[in-house]
Amino acid sequence: MADESVGERNRSNAFVVTARKRTLQKVAKTAGEGMLFSVAFFVAVIVLFIFYFVARDAIPFFQICGFSEFFTSTNWYPADEPGEFGALAIIYGSLMVTLGSAMIAVPMGVAAAICLSDILPFSIRQYAKPVIEMLAAIPSVAFGFFALVVLAPLMQDHGGPMLMWGWWILVSPFLLLSVIVIADLLTANIKDEKRRQQRHWMLLIALGLFSIFLLFKVGSVLNGIQILTGTNALNVSIILSFMALPTIVSVSEDALQAVGRDIREGSYALGATRAETIIKTILPAASSGILAAVILGIMRALGETMVVWMASGNSSHIPEPWFNYLEAIRTLTATIAGDMGEADQVTGSARFHVLFAMGLLLLIISFISNLVSERIVVRQRKILSGQ
Amino acid sequence: MNIGTRKILDRSFTAVGIGSIVVMALALMIVVVPIVYNGIGAVFFTGTVEHRKMLHAEFKRGDSQELSSEVASSNRYRAKIYDMLTGFEAELETMTPEKKAEYQAKYSQVRTALQALLGPLPGDPEPMLTRFKYGQTRWDKAEEKLHDLLFESKWDNSNPNVMSKEYFVSRAIGFEGTSLVRLFPYVKDNFENMLLPEFTFYWGFITDSSVDSHFFGGIWPEIQGTFFLAIGAMLFAFPLGVIAAVYFTEYAKPGFLNSMLRSANSTLAGVPSIVFGMFGLAFFINTMKVSESKSVIAGALTLAIMILPTIIRAAEEAILAVPKTYREASLSLGSTKWNTIATVILPAALPGILTGGVISLGRAAGETAPIIFTAAVSVGSAIGLADVFSSPTPALSWNIYNLASEHEAATQLRHVQYGMVLALVTIVLLLNLSAIVLRARISKKLKC
Repeated sequence: MADESVGERNRSNAFVVTARKRTLQKVAKTAGEGMLFSVAFFVAVIVLFIFYFVARDAIPFFQICGFSEFFTSTNWYPADEPGEFGALAIIYGSLMVTLGSAMIAVPMGVAAAICLSDILPFSIRQYAKPVIEMLAAIPSVAFGFFALVVLAPLMQDHGGPMLMWGWWILVSPFLLLSVIVIADLLTANIKDEKRRQQRHWMLLIALGLFSIFLLFKVGSVLNGIQILTGTNALNVSIILSFMALPTIVSVSEDALQAVGRDIREGSYALGATRAETIIKTILPAASSGILAAVILGIMRALGETMVVWMASGNSSHIPEPWFNYLEAIRTLTATIAGDMGEADQVTGSARFHVLFAMGLLLLIISFISNLVSERIVVRQRKILSGQ
Repeated sequence: MNIGTRKILDRSFTAVGIGSIVVMALALMIVVVPIVYNGIGAVFFTGTVEHRKMLHAEFKRGDSQELSSEVASSNRYRAKIYDMLTGFEAELETMTPEKKAEYQAKYSQVRTALQALLGPLPGDPEPMLTRFKYGQTRWDKAEEKLHDLLFESKWDNSNPNVMSKEYFVSRAIGFEGTSLVRLFPYVKDNFENMLLPEFTFYWGFITDSSVDSHFFGGIWPEIQGTFFLAIGAMLFAFPLGVIAAVYFTEYAKPGFLNSMLRSANSTLAGVPSIVFGMFGLAFFINTMKVSESKSVIAGALTLAIMILPTIIRAAEEAILAVPKTYREASLSLGSTKWNTIATVILPAALPGILTGGVISLGRAAGETAPIIFTAAVSVGSAIGLADVFSSPTPALSWNIYNLASEHEAATQLRHVQYGMVLALVTIVLLLNLSAIVLRARISKKLKC
């Protein structure tokens, strides 16, 4: 009995809320929420600080040297007296490897994302996802080491044959497919069944012979190429595409998943094959999400430092001709990483500030593309939920 | 289009998708397999008697009695070489001056090759650098050096249109008619007796510090530095990230301020890693002066900022994945919102939050660019815990770069580089694997 009465008393105390207690609770609640908010706000403060501190050290460069030399000249001689700070070739190099890696990673990444979201059964998908995560987790310096120590000597010693085999393996299935499709399309209008068959076979053989000729002709040209240096833009582009792939796959898979079942089922009901459903209905619906994925993947390649620093050759010139991926190049990130050590001693010189100007350029590009991709994702979500 | 073509197109579309996943798996294999294969070679290899000499002298390891008997037996075979060298030097004195000059150059090349193979020759001054005190410690390297001794490499520039080709000329031919010609077959035949190869498990590669900038010894300072930096970054980023995630999921009201904060978060996630390094240099070191120059603390703070968005996102997802019923049950029992968060939601979300934390830890351990200007040095010994506020540290990621691209003997130290890469990749992949396993268990638990 006594126990019960004690419990009774405690409980009644617990529910008595005096004015003092209420204010205390209120104050504690506001203070707690304020603390949480300030921590969350801290992130925004960091972003502002990054912009401020990078810009603070970048602006003196533009005050000393102006904009025109930086963006238009290709003479990069920062150690000279007075130094020349033409970063055009460096910016071009950055764009070149970014574009190169995008050309490899975007088709592969989107195809893999489609495969993961629409084609593979769940049981296989479970094993494919960790592979992608592992690829994303491998440190960039390990990729750079691989590019420098394994891939570069391979390219230098067996460049021509490697290019030839790459061409054959990549292009022959696509040529085969396009031969079949073109033959089919060109003969589709012929009414007479027998003649159509005849024409179809003739076209198939003719196109097939032509494509075999093309394969071997281009292959032998590629086989003859000698790669002078293994540390070149192609090497870096291949490795960067490995690094951009996981981002592209996972973000575009999310976009594809966001497209509902009803659209897919509608298309199947109209008699479309799976490929037609995906290409004609799902991809257009998810296109903006995929675009966001591509932007994020490209940013990963543009901002990557170690791979390009180790394996791009670091020579500041625009390749000759301009699309020659077999020449050494130099990128913004590698220049910052490589030159800071030498410039650091003389804080205040243009040589130090020009690196911050490059950092600011990278920062602005990444900021804008982030905003754009975010807008795109938000808009897609709105459109899809509105339907 | 006819139905057959449509079917073929459909199949090939599927094939492209599966093919690209296979290519990704292959890419992972192609990168990881050589790293693992060669990296294991840094720990398990065929060591020579020179390796055991080095271990005994530098790390006081190994049985000195056994070692001295081994050294004695190898010296028996080496003595004959030294005799031949002295014999040839005497022979040189008797030659005409032109002939002497001609042979002298070749002879000094032979001497250098022998020094690289067997360590200092009798009569050489005591070398200053440890790397010259011993011969080849690894059998595979020793075989390369033997080739250097037996053959001279020359370049064929005869055709100006193609790249010049390397070819090899036997050195023995150059000494035809002198007493030294006997040296080459002798070295070749008694090679094993001079170096006594033996299978070696060099566990010290993980726990030793390096001797003479990674020529000998292990990578402990780098591993320790990596742990310091990654754990330091977590100490700052993890509490901040979880608190921010609680705010975003539980308290934030939709509106301009909230969307701005979220934009800031995704902007931070997209900033190139090298820019974090510049910011760390400009802010933590040059403005805040957390340390005189590079230091572990500056690097850890920079890494913390870099992994903050990842942690926030992972924690948010984990908190949102907690079933609504938990929250409702707790609130209906009369607990306050704060109480619910602290005693119900966070414990339920903890495994998910930890998964994100483990992945971020891996990212902090593997990242190089942010620590180049803020924390990393190329050579150095392991630092004590008290020094983290003032001194920089070697770290795996940075030293891989440094050894592979800036070290003066980069091509000779490939085995050390592979060993470092393997150590780093193992750390990062183990962290990620544990995260994957953890997540699989959570999703099972939430399903039940």
